[in-house]
Amino acid sequence: MATSTTDLTPVLERLDALAAKVELLAERQRAHAELIEDMTPIAREVMTTAIGKLDAMDRAGYFDFAAEAAGLARRVVEGFSPDDVRQLGDSIVGMLETVRAVTRPDVLDAKPIGLFGAARAVRKDDDVQKGLAVLVEMLRRLGHRAEEEAAQPAALDKRARLAAMLGPRRARLLPAPAAPSITVTPVARAAAPARAPACATPAPASTADPDWTRAAGEQLAAAQGLTLTDAHWVVLEAARADFAATQVSPNIRRLTQIAGVTTKDLYVLFPKAPGRTIALVAGLPKPAGCL
Amino acid sequence: MTTTTTPAPNRKVAIICSHGGLDEVYPSLILANAARQSGIDAFIFFTFWGLDAITERKVDHLHVNVVGQPSSGMPTMLAGLPGMEALAASMMKKSMAELELPTVREMLQILDESGAELYACELAMKMFKRTKEDLVPQVKDVITAGDFYDLSEGAQIIFT
Repeated sequence: MATSTTDLTPVLERLDALAAKVELLAERQRAHAELIEDMTPIAREVMTTAIGKLDAMDRAGYFDFAAEAAGLARRVVEGFSPDDVRQLGDSIVGMLETVRAVTRPDVLDAKPIGLFGAARAVRKDDDVQKGLAVLVEMLRRLGHRAEEEAAQPAALDKRARLAAMLGPRRARLLPAPAAPSITVTPVARAAAPARAPACATPAPASTADPDWTRAAGEQLAAAQGLTLTDAHWVVLEAARADFAATQVSPNIRRLTQIAGVTTKDLYVLFPKAPGRTIALVAGLPKPAGCL
Repeated sequence: MTTTTTPAPNRKVAIICSHGGLDEVYPSLILANAARQSGIDAFIFFTFWGLDAITERKVDHLHVNVVGQPSSGMPTMLAGLPGMEALAASMMKKSMAELELPTVREMLQILDESGAELYACELAMKMFKRTKEDLVPQVKDVITAGDFYDLSEGAQIIFT
């Protein structure tokens, strides 16, 4: 007998342990059932909120959203490494398993529990506590997000709100609607002053002949077939005085202004190329410019 | 200093001015003036729109054509807007005034005084129904294309 008792002892112990385990499992199952029951209204609420949110987005501008979405895929690709994606894949498997676990018939048929049951599950069950922690964390982030959203200045336009929601954007993908892009080209360029002179004159020697005298002038004029009169000298003296003052040989237009003669007079006095001839006779450099 | 800068006595240029834009008329006038200053005989034959440059009621109101003018820097879309032409013309006139460039009317006067000869195209005159009385006094005559060739014999011809 003693022997049989001794033989039986481990079996009984094992049975005891088994009974305890079954009890534990039953308890856990109840906790699951409780969770499902509690979650149902929450899920419904979440659903409603999500629909509302989508609706709000739609009103906020579907096309804007679509435009942003075009850049979204790229951002996902650039923002996540292959490792991240692999992990995401693993997580998805885990998620699906969770879903399958909680939708098994035996789980769904779990006994209903009330407030006390819930309290007990929360107090005793590690899994429930863990699940609760996850839920609380999710709620915290959601609340934080909502806070941020509320803090956004109302003046922000749809596009900006969308951008805030979708994170930092890349200007390259969707350039911001900058200030009016039609910029009027400065009209001043259309009338560039550089266009006015239609000819370019090589830079003339800038110094007057230091040895010039009236007699030398007479000779230079004679070489041009000219006999200088008082009228000629009025112009020549004016040209020399002007050069002394400005260091620039006067052109014909300038001569008409400083010598009190007309263009016609100049052409009469110095028939061939008056500007150049006057400068030559007066011992001045060749005048620049087209006029 | 005995060498002269006087060019060969027979040298002459015939300039055909066929456009009436401010930016299209000035080159003709300045070339002619520069020729005279260099002792070269010069005459200008004004035809088609170029007639505007010697028409009394038009000469002070020549415009700059900015449409289809890539150098203007103005987009064609904008250049075509009403008033753009007048705006561009006034801007250009302002820059010319800053350079003390004579107006077109003054240039015609200077050319006349310097001995350049101005002619109007007879056919264009008929086309635009203008008479010699409509033209500025500096215009020497209304001539035909045949007359132009007679005049331009031995001349270098410049078409603008």
